[in-house]
Amino acid sequence: MGLLALGTALEWPEAKKKADQVRQWGIEQLLANWRRARGKERDALLWGDEVEYLVVALDDTAKKARLSLAQAEILKSLARDEALWKSGGCKNRDNGDHDGEEPPHFHPEFGRFMLEATPGRPWGIGFKDLLKVESNMKWRREIAKAHMAPNESPITLTTFPRLGTKDDYIQPYYPPSGPALRSQFVPDEIANPHIRFPTLAANIRSRRGRKVELNVPVYKDLNTPSPFKDPTVDYNLHQWPEDDDVRNGAAKDDHVYMDAMAFGMGSCCLQITFQAKNMTEGRRLYDQLSPLGPILLALTAATPIYKGFLVDTDVRWNQISRAVDDRTPEELGEAPLKNDRWRIPKSRYASNSTYISQDPRLRKEYLDPDLVVDENIKKRLMDGGMDELLATHFAHLFIRDPLVVFSEDLEELDLNKGDHFENLQSTNWQHMRFKPPPSESDIGWRVEFRSMEIQITDFENAAFSIFIVLITRAILSFDLNFYIPIPLTTENMETAHARNAVLDKKFYFRKDPFPRRVPKTPQLSTNNSTFSSTTSSAVNTPPPSPPLGPVETEYELMSISDIVNGCPDGSFPGLIPLVESYLNSVNVDVETRCFLASYLDLIQKRADGTLWTGARWIREFVAKHPSYKQDSVVSEEITFDLVKAVEEMTAKEGRNGSVGWELLRGKKKN
Amino acid sequence: MKLILSTSNIMKGGRPSVIRQPPTQKSNVELINSLRSNFIASQQIDTPNGSTNGDANGSQTSRQDYKSWTSEQDGALYIPAIDFSQPGLSEERDQYDITVKLFYLPGIPVSRRCAHTREAIDLVLKELHVKSIDLLIVSFPGILFDADDDSEDEEASTNGEPDDFDSMVQTWRVLELLHEQGMIAQLGVAEFGSERLARFLPHTKVKPSVDQINLKDCCVVPKSLILYAKQEHIQLLTHNDCNDILPVGTTRELLGPTEHGSGILASAPEAEDGIQGDVEPQWVVKYTAVVKDRGVVENKGYFALADVGTCVKDRA
Repeated sequence: MGLLALGTALEWPEAKKKADQVRQWGIEQLLANWRRARGKERDALLWGDEVEYLVVALDDTAKKARLSLAQAEILKSLARDEALWKSGGCKNRDNGDHDGEEPPHFHPEFGRFMLEATPGRPWGIGFKDLLKVESNMKWRREIAKAHMAPNESPITLTTFPRLGTKDDYIQPYYPPSGPALRSQFVPDEIANPHIRFPTLAANIRSRRGRKVELNVPVYKDLNTPSPFKDPTVDYNLHQWPEDDDVRNGAAKDDHVYMDAMAFGMGSCCLQITFQAKNMTEGRRLYDQLSPLGPILLALTAATPIYKGFLVDTDVRWNQISRAVDDRTPEELGEAPLKNDRWRIPKSRYASNSTYISQDPRLRKEYLDPDLVVDENIKKRLMDGGMDELLATHFAHLFIRDPLVVFSEDLEELDLNKGDHFENLQSTNWQHMRFKPPPSESDIGWRVEFRSMEIQITDFENAAFSIFIVLITRAILSFDLNFYIPIPLTTENMETAHARNAVLDKKFYFRKDPFPRRVPKTPQLSTNNSTFSSTTSSAVNTPPPSPPLGPVETEYELMSISDIVNGCPDGSFPGLIPLVESYLNSVNVDVETRCFLASYLDLIQKRADGTLWTGARWIREFVAKHPSYKQDSVVSEEITFDLVKAVEEMTAKEGRNGSVGWELLRGKKKN
Repeated sequence: MKLILSTSNIMKGGRPSVIRQPPTQKSNVELINSLRSNFIASQQIDTPNGSTNGDANGSQTSRQDYKSWTSEQDGALYIPAIDFSQPGLSEERDQYDITVKLFYLPGIPVSRRCAHTREAIDLVLKELHVKSIDLLIVSFPGILFDADDDSEDEEASTNGEPDDFDSMVQTWRVLELLHEQGMIAQLGVAEFGSERLARFLPHTKVKPSVDQINLKDCCVVPKSLILYAKQEHIQLLTHNDCNDILPVGTTRELLGPTEHGSGILASAPEAEDGIQGDVEPQWVVKYTAVVKDRGVVENKGYFALADVGTCVKDRA
């Protein structure tokens, strides 16, 4: 999660004054870096996964599961061990099964109850590497667990079911309502104490002019009151000016109301980053993976509970989006534009809004008509030599204000660094991220795929990670084309939120992903004039002849099963058959293919409903719990049992009818 | 006359190269479809003025004379014509892993394999503009690997006549020679069970480094084969090719005058609208060039060679 430099963080009105300077310097750093790195070529495929954990503490006697705020101690202990490892003096960590693998890295996250772990070294495409992913993920979990108190463990639920309730859901306990978050549900101590995080939260709130506002529709069960008025909301607090928010209608009927960054940024995700061969390939993958974002979000759905209630959505995405939404009433369109520069349709955390590939197949019609761009920044980038598409992308990201500004960093502009650029880049949390090479390193152009929800078991996390990697190889090998108009991807992202969207909803998807066979021109006559059509709708270079049909004929609504497994009528081939077809074209050894088959099988069956999503499994778990009263309330007792079940599932992975077989095996016996 | 059928690069050929099928079902659909679509694409060459044909009826009814899209060289008809001057690979040779799989077809005399092997490899080298390949896997006709039964029983398990052991060894000599000449870095076989491998290895100077097996479910490889392969440092790879990859009937249909054919062969014994005589496919070769450290398949295609004529070579 971004940079963790130290310094004097400016509070909002001061930070705001420096916004233009940070943006300008950021753009100069971007330009300098882009000039340096644009010719970078022939980088290998390297990729990495990021797994995020909640740290829970179980109290078996009181039958309570709480979030542990021990992040700092755990990380310190892990770091000590890692240093020891590097110096070669480590004997107590068993590296037996992980011969030749570097010890994993652990990182802090926004929530003080969270941990992030990445492999010690990025993965390659060597098929042997793919086999190591799952065991490496398990190894990370073991190591993390070994550095926790005996009753603590890392679990991979996206959110803690009772975060923000009235009970003592954190350990140690702190009462809510601190100066940074001003939340009536969570204390400031819920966030990582590093100055960056409270500043981020406080400045989002200050910029916005009120607290962030998350209203998630409640799941209406038989005994759920109607209208449902969130019973945990306190309308009589008078500690902070923001306590007025709820009196001004912030909490909506029939919704679960939340009011702090922690409810969003405290969610765990599964993110994958790829290094591309060069900038061109990176830009292509950014575009082609973008339409897959909502599909993978629905497939990985795992978030049906907030603040002790079953909700009517299955995924975390919009909650994070709202938890960091710093837009002012003017930018939101709730007040006439006076001080702000424009209305902004999306939060800083949202589905992405640009296509950036210099691909002749990219048509003007695909671009977002509502894209907000800082024209001055765009001009500066283009004057600096950058092409219009890429300049537009960054000039779009740079419409935002920097949120955390350290005064020490504003003394001198260092063009060999990227800190000001990263300041804005890393607080634009879109579902795809295009990452220029970091300065002063050998790393290449990278693309990050960010929409997936973390899964309960490492088997699932490995399966989805590897699936995405294989999809990128199929995209590049078959020259696939998944372009659809960006607003449809935005709409798909919303669709993915619906309860059981994976089976019940349809998504816009391109009907024919294959490249058109370029008609051969008669040999020896390299007649370029036939390509210079003036009716072109392509953004980039000349369009392929014959002329393209209307954009609307290129896509249709498809079920996730059709997209993943192929349409029964054969019209859309399906992502899995494409991956299989790719695998049939490369040399894969028997053992690897067997592993890959089990991963692809999981995804295939999630898509066709044979296997449940995590969200569905959690819903069923709650519904069947003896103490559940059909009133949408997920009690402490249910939460305790759920966490226990999740721990068991992580270990047994649904084998022999053990807990979770419905989402991992599909049958009780095997 | 020899007919040299080619698919060109099927990774960039669009739709027909990827087809929906149960992933582990063996199939020659890829070969047949990509040949057919390459033939069709070659017949739709734009004329310089842009319009395909003055004929208002469209392209289907007025089939072009095959001579316009094929080319004859040294007694061989290239279907379609191949422009070998086109660059084969976009990066330097050492960036690629080039795997070639050669299918000897059932019923073709073993005595021709030496020539066939050279012929096939030469075409691939020419197409990709390279001097050597990294791995050549040979597929002998009539061997079927059965995961459920490790004692592969050649006499009973095939529909064509089984390839006898001596002929395999004899063929291997040819491959060893090409290996010696530096044209092929590694050799491999397909569908060998552990017993066949054990029998085969003592007869080889250059051991196969790969055994490629087709399994309905690759998680049920016989333990004996896994252990033996490990002991002999033979890599077990998977594939989903079919054993009889290019039957005579399919070839006839592909080249014939019917709706699905490409009009190379004459429509009737007396007709002058095509080549007269019988068709006999001789071999099929599949080549794949993968960018090593990126796992991208950049070029994949097939060549197939068939003899045609009233005096198709005697099976001596």
